[in-house]
Amino acid sequence: MTAATALKPAPTTAPQSGARLLVRTLERLGVEVVFGYPGGAIMPVYDALTGSGLKHILVRHEQGAAFAADAWARTTGKVGVCMATSGPGATNLITGIANAMMDSVPMVCITGNVATHLMGTDAFQEIDILGVTLPIVKHSWVVRDPADIPAVIEEAFHVARSGRPGPVLVDLPKDVQVGMASDDYGFHYPNDADPLDHAAIAEAEQLIRAAERPLIYIGGGVKIAGAVEALRDFAGRTGIPAVSTLNALGSIRTDAPGFLGMLGMHGTRAANEAVQESDLLIVLGARFDDRATGKLNAFAPHAKVVHFDIDPAEIGKLRAVHVPVVGDLKAGIEALTTRVTTAPLAIDPWIIRCTSSATRNAFRYDAPGEGVYAPALLNELSKAAGDRFVAACDVGQHQMWVAQHCEFSRPEAHLTSGGLGAMGYGLPAGLGAKMANPGAHVVTVSGDGSFMMNIQELATLRRYGVALKIVLLDNSSLGLVRQWQELFFEENYSEVDLSDNPDFVAVAQAFGIEAFRISRREEVSAGIQRLLDAPGPCLAHVLIDPKENVWPLVPPGKSNAEMMHGESRFESDM
Amino acid sequence: MTDTIHITIDRADGSLQRLIGLVERRGFHIDGMMLSDEGSLRRVQMQVRGKDAGRCTDNLGRQIDKLVGATRVGFAAATYGFTTGAAA
Repeated sequence: MTAATALKPAPTTAPQSGARLLVRTLERLGVEVVFGYPGGAIMPVYDALTGSGLKHILVRHEQGAAFAADAWARTTGKVGVCMATSGPGATNLITGIANAMMDSVPMVCITGNVATHLMGTDAFQEIDILGVTLPIVKHSWVVRDPADIPAVIEEAFHVARSGRPGPVLVDLPKDVQVGMASDDYGFHYPNDADPLDHAAIAEAEQLIRAAERPLIYIGGGVKIAGAVEALRDFAGRTGIPAVSTLNALGSIRTDAPGFLGMLGMHGTRAANEAVQESDLLIVLGARFDDRATGKLNAFAPHAKVVHFDIDPAEIGKLRAVHVPVVGDLKAGIEALTTRVTTAPLAIDPWIIRCTSSATRNAFRYDAPGEGVYAPALLNELSKAAGDRFVAACDVGQHQMWVAQHCEFSRPEAHLTSGGLGAMGYGLPAGLGAKMANPGAHVVTVSGDGSFMMNIQELATLRRYGVALKIVLLDNSSLGLVRQWQELFFEENYSEVDLSDNPDFVAVAQAFGIEAFRISRREEVSAGIQRLLDAPGPCLAHVLIDPKENVWPLVPPGKSNAEMMHGESRFESDM
Repeated sequence: MTDTIHITIDRADGSLQRLIGLVERRGFHIDGMMLSDEGSLRRVQMQVRGKDAGRCTDNLGRQIDKLVGATRVGFAAATYGFTTGAAA
């Protein structure tokens, strides 16, 4: 970012094509990798890519490009870049764009389009992608003059990463890609840093001093703001217990004392009870998502709320706030820490109550039976991979098990489609994350439903020799839907059976990827070691009990006080 | 209850569509709208009404503030109203 914000207007050059101006601007902005897929309306850009300093990763479906760029952004803190042609290429990006919007991921999506004189005529592969994506982008542009390309691209990067980040779309009609212009216009970066609201922070301090049961509610904004160290300092020095949303896991080490786990639908009992008992929620970059709050008007019924967020529109959106602190989270938390640590807080009984609850309600991994117990496998996997662990989850039961049972030492270690819940995220996200972090143990944790949604990206792993590891937890069904049908639809199992899945080991091998299968508990440790030691991409196909459920569970629409607990049942034979 | 919001917006591709889409998507009816020329910008006067009791015009205004190329006119920046669905 600093490299980009320090940019000076480019020197005037000889006229060149819009496509070359695009590539040149991306190079100047420090872009290293672009994930994409060519097609008719973006061919001038692909022509200009050859010989450039940009590394283009050819995925096998545009959705994979968007998810890979998203994961690149989440793990590097830089802006992810993906590109596609017009029409179907552009529409295939949509799920990935929505995913980035919901989880506030900075991403620049570049699409080709038909020539401007053909726009609005139902031309071949013409789609009004700007119109289609309006609800799921932070902003978007149609560039109508090649001379505007450098400025628009720079502004696109600025909008994507500033404030609350998000995806942006730049649509380039074909005639604009081939039209000639000089690169003589630099984007003027606004100085939009808001001053700290010291009065609000002083009020927040007063509420914290008056509270007997304060609780930190950590959201994904902490990581995005680079406020992880500030948060750890605040929590460590005040001793205030903390709970986390799905997207914020790892912001505080999951094994840190005082960290009570994830709150919400599949949260820990310790976290949800603490929220319900708290008299002050200190909300840091979170947005009261319904999966976190459960029934909203029963959420934290005794708590006042202090809400730190960079997005003013999140203040009071769903829950009344007593003290809003709008602005940069890092500076805000640091200022709060300075104030609050001048005198100790008298909250020892509350801290003891929370930490003993966490100990009492800790997950157990001694389920009976011989079959693979997925929560135990995931716990062991994260410990074996250690601080180099990065999990790229798909969506479903396995995603919740990763959130509950993996240990995370940093938020970048947990990539998950939180807001959108997009099945198919895991494999391309793992691809993007591994390319960005070659030294990390990046593991895609997927299910047999999700995996098939972007299975084609195995070819991309193979093509670029990306040593992504894959744990495919196979219960031969759409497990989370099956679980809800069991619990809330009177066991009427409708369209969740996937017992005719292909042989995933053979499929992976056909793509040229090492693969093996385990089905018994005694094979787990060796399997994890084999996976982590493999020099190239490797898939572990893990057969698990199709009837295993995710516990605890707050039924949809219910209060977080109404947690259901089930027994692990290993009685059924695999 | 109907509230009136005044906004200036630029003439970029999709800017009017973006504004109207945001208002409707965030749970408001647009009961009336006037668009007028204002030099390089356009001025929009919009009568909006929440589709249910939980919709808060202040929050809608803060969503509009986030649009690139749109500016609310005649509005104090830091007023934080709450949805009626929120617990006190």
